[in-house]
Amino acid sequence: MSDQYEYILKTEHVSKRFGTLEVLKDINLSVKKGEVICIIGPSGAGKSTFLRSLNQLEKITSGKIFIRDELFLHRENDHTVDKLPREKQQELLLEMGMVFQRFNLFPHKTVLQNVCEAPVIVKKEKKEEVEERAKELLDRVGLSEKANEYPSRLSGGQQQRVAIARALAMNPEIMLFDEPTSALDPELVGDVLKVMKELAESGMTMLCVTHEMGFAREVADRVLFMADGIIAEEGTPEEIFTNPKAERTRNFLNAVLEA
Amino acid sequence: MKKKVLTLICSAVMLFGLSACGDKVETAQTQDTATTQESKPAIDISAATLMSDGVLNVGCEVGYPPFEDFAEDGTTPKGYDVDIITAVADKLGLKVNIINTAWDGIFAGIGVNYDVVCSAVTITPERQETMIFSTPYINNYQAVVLLKDDSKQVNSFNDLDGMSIALQKETTSDILMSDYKSTGTIDIQIVANEKVTSCFTQLQNGEVDAVVVDSTVADGYINSSDAFKIVYEDQSEPEQFGIAMAPGNEGLQAAINQALKELEDEGFIKETYDYWFGAAQ
Amino acid sequence: MKKAELKKHSGKIITAAVIILICIILGILKPGREALMTQTSPEMQKMIDADANSTRKRVTVTYNSLFIINYASLSTSGANVMSERYVGFLGKVYPADEGAMKVVGQMVNYTYRMLGVGENLMHGAKLTITLTTLTVLFGVLLGTLLALGKISKKKILSKLSGAYIFFFRGTPLLIQIFVVYFTVPGIFGFAWRDLFGVNDAEAVYKGAFVAALIAFALNSGAYCAEIVRSAIQSIDKGQFEAAKALGMSYGQTMTRIIIPQSIRRMIPNVSNEFIMVLKDASLVFAISLMDITTVSKNIMTSEGSYLVFIPALVIYLVITAFFGFIFDKIEKKFSVYE
Repeated sequence: MSDQYEYILKTEHVSKRFGTLEVLKDINLSVKKGEVICIIGPSGAGKSTFLRSLNQLEKITSGKIFIRDELFLHRENDHTVDKLPREKQQELLLEMGMVFQRFNLFPHKTVLQNVCEAPVIVKKEKKEEVEERAKELLDRVGLSEKANEYPSRLSGGQQQRVAIARALAMNPEIMLFDEPTSALDPELVGDVLKVMKELAESGMTMLCVTHEMGFAREVADRVLFMADGIIAEEGTPEEIFTNPKAERTRNFLNAVLEA
Repeated sequence: MKKKVLTLICSAVMLFGLSACGDKVETAQTQDTATTQESKPAIDISAATLMSDGVLNVGCEVGYPPFEDFAEDGTTPKGYDVDIITAVADKLGLKVNIINTAWDGIFAGIGVNYDVVCSAVTITPERQETMIFSTPYINNYQAVVLLKDDSKQVNSFNDLDGMSIALQKETTSDILMSDYKSTGTIDIQIVANEKVTSCFTQLQNGEVDAVVVDSTVADGYINSSDAFKIVYEDQSEPEQFGIAMAPGNEGLQAAINQALKELEDEGFIKETYDYWFGAAQ
Repeated sequence: MKKAELKKHSGKIITAAVIILICIILGILKPGREALMTQTSPEMQKMIDADANSTRKRVTVTYNSLFIINYASLSTSGANVMSERYVGFLGKVYPADEGAMKVVGQMVNYTYRMLGVGENLMHGAKLTITLTTLTVLFGVLLGTLLALGKISKKKILSKLSGAYIFFFRGTPLLIQIFVVYFTVPGIFGFAWRDLFGVNDAEAVYKGAFVAALIAFALNSGAYCAEIVRSAIQSIDKGQFEAAKALGMSYGQTMTRIIIPQSIRRMIPNVSNEFIMVLKDASLVFAISLMDITTVSKNIMTSEGSYLVFIPALVIYLVITAFFGFIFDKIEKKFSVYE
């Protein structure tokens, strides 16, 4: 793995339209290795769509996506102009781990099987080695005693921590979190945030769409405020939370923090 | 492979042609008998009991080709029985009125809905207890049919040993062959079908070795397709078809027997048989 | 856990064991074949003796042994019909030419014939069960392929699968059976019997069975395709996304994530399909095979006995109950994670 790149992830003029609805408008973002970026903003701002476009769960309408400075995908008006060869794309996508709002664990597999599935099937790693790593990961998220349970026996918070371990098992360079705590009961949020915080401290590059302002403030290197499909404001947590420049950021923060 | 397709098409065309010209021949016959009527007096029917003057009402289950079936128009009855009973009525100086009726309860209608039943009725001792019959107007045997190019020798049912036999379910053929099998006389595989047509298709496709069937039906098939041949007919116990009448109507019975005899003598019955069943009886 | 389960079922197990034991004892106590056969009247014996030296035999000997009871009949054909029937039970032989014993004898004989005891797999209940099981097995496999084709993003695949399903669901099974058995060999000049060779006396039934199985499986595939498709589409979209985010290919996602989860949702519908096929199996009468329904109809027309339908119903219910139990077990096995 070479570190001969400037940005681990970069987007240029990324737009996304659903029919006539413009969800993303000209999004430009550069992420350096080890950065932790939190994306905040009102619902419908396009935060999730942006995150999902990065690992190809959504097809962008136009714009460029770079991974490790290589042009991963270039599309204009819903047509692909340029892209990496398929295998190379596939390989780079594996560098992105994703955690979903609704966990999306595989219900028919145990916790351990959930974590081991992709490394064994996709990366063709040895089962024994993967299992060992998986147990360490489960230990890291505090669930080693649940390894042989089915997801349905776990609380939401536990499920989400398994989902994080599952993504980490692929040894990604960057983790995408799509509102990981929104579907959880309030008392379960803390455990998940703790795991995420530890992950950030370990030097993982992270992109988090979140409503947890405390987390963003404490952990993020940079905070993006998105509204109506654009990045309305961008800055360090201090700048955004204590001295927001844009009117909309102020309104949003007032509304959120009062609640 | 091509040959088989051709045979299939040919037989379809032939069947079509056969039914199409059925009408024409029938009308020609009526003309023929009309001339006979002028030259020869009708048979005396004064002793017979009839339901209506000048008409012979006939009960018939139309739908058993080639004995009785509807022509292409769907309403005109045609077939061997129809030709025979029409000719008989002509001899008696009567018009024929064919009443299509279901097989179940067909005999209960004699003397109620019609004077006679002429519908491929086998003369049996049980039936003779409740009705009277004319002299037989056709003999039916059990026949063994093979593919034309088959070289097997079958001179009795015992020669069927080891073969797969197709036959129509619950017919005389079925009862007879099942008896041969269950008594251990011969070892055969019986392939029983709902429709007699399935038996012949199975034979043609090579699924079975032989078909055992009524000789009348076999004659009909040999006539319409050159793929088959009859190799054996069991002459020992013929089934005979007769015209059924109400008991006590011996006057009608005598007249009909007289008519049948004259038709036999004139060669009409053989002619009609050859027409409907092809091969000579 | 296993022990607890055993305890839970111990009542049932004991009952079953007792019933089996009683059956075994009754089976041992029932009179042998010889005992039934030596009851013949002198007239019948004369006929049997005459048959020994004749090429045309007259006496039909029937012997049916049904676990705990047996039945024998001797009958002659021809003008002077003679028949003698006996039922053997618990060490005694009962004449069964009239009265209650006649009914018992008939029931034994009818059940024996409908079960296809002593016959090959192409007969009676054996045929019904073999045909139905294999049909549903192949039907589900074919249906899965068709369902994957139907939901595929490749237009041609989707159209082809759609056309297949439309064709086989839109035409009667009976005609499909006719086409496979009669039309296809007629056009291409082969016989189903040839699959098993001339030396196999039962090749004609086996050939018909293969043709029937092909027609049934092709037909069932179309129905199962819809079952599988709706099961797959009922799986949460998040499962596809999670699999994709982990780098799994479409094939891996389907075989490892989606289909295993769909199975549980398919089972109630597959179970229904099984029961439909079980009943549709009677259509094999059209190509000379005899399933339970066909055998019972034949008995009814040849013997005029309406009683035959009672054992027929019982046999069907036992089969349905047994396979219902199996499907239940499979469903439970696939829903341990819920």
